[in-house]
Amino acid sequence: MDSFSSPSSSSPSSQMSAEDFMDQLKVQLAQAYAEEFLETVRGKCFEKCITKPGSSLSGGESSCISRCVDRYIEATGIISRSLFNAQR
Amino acid sequence: MDTSALNNPQLQQLINQEKERAMANEMIAKLTSACWDKCITGTPGSKFSSSESSCLSNCAQRYMDMSIMIVKRFQSMQ
Repeated sequence: MDSFSSPSSSSPSSQMSAEDFMDQLKVQLAQAYAEEFLETVRGKCFEKCITKPGSSLSGGESSCISRCVDRYIEATGIISRSLFNAQR
Repeated sequence: MDTSALNNPQLQQLINQEKERAMANEMIAKLTSACWDKCITGTPGSKFSSSESSCLSNCAQRYMDMSIMIVKRFQSMQ
C-alpha cells in the first residue's frame, strides 16, 4: 500500500470501504430527493403562477413564484410535523 | 466490482436505515403534493392563512386515519 492511499481503503480500485459506500449512498439519495422536490415545485408553481404565458415573466408572476416556493417548503414542514405528531 | 462488503450485516443495517429514511421522505413528498392541491386553492400568499395551515395538517392526519381504516376493512373481508 503506497503512502497516498487513504486509511479507510484496503486494496486499490475494486474494494470500497463501508464508510465510503455509505457516504456515496447518502449523497446520491440527497441528490435524487432534491431533484424530485424541485420538479414538484416547478409543476405546482407553474400551475399557480403562470396562467397566461407572455413574452417574458411579469413582476406579478415573479413574486408569485417566490411566494409559491416559500409556501411549498413551509407546507412540506407542516405535513412532516403533522405526521410525526400523529404517531405518538 | 467486489461486492463482498455488502454481506456485512452492520452495513446492511445502515443501508436499511437509509432506506427507511428515503421511504419516509417519499411519503412526506407525496402527501405534501396531494394536500397542497386540496388546501391551497388560490394564488400563494406571503404566508398561509390559518385555514390553509390547519387544512394542511388536518390533511396529513386524515390520510393516516384513512390508511388504518382501509387496512381494517380489508382484514374484515378475509
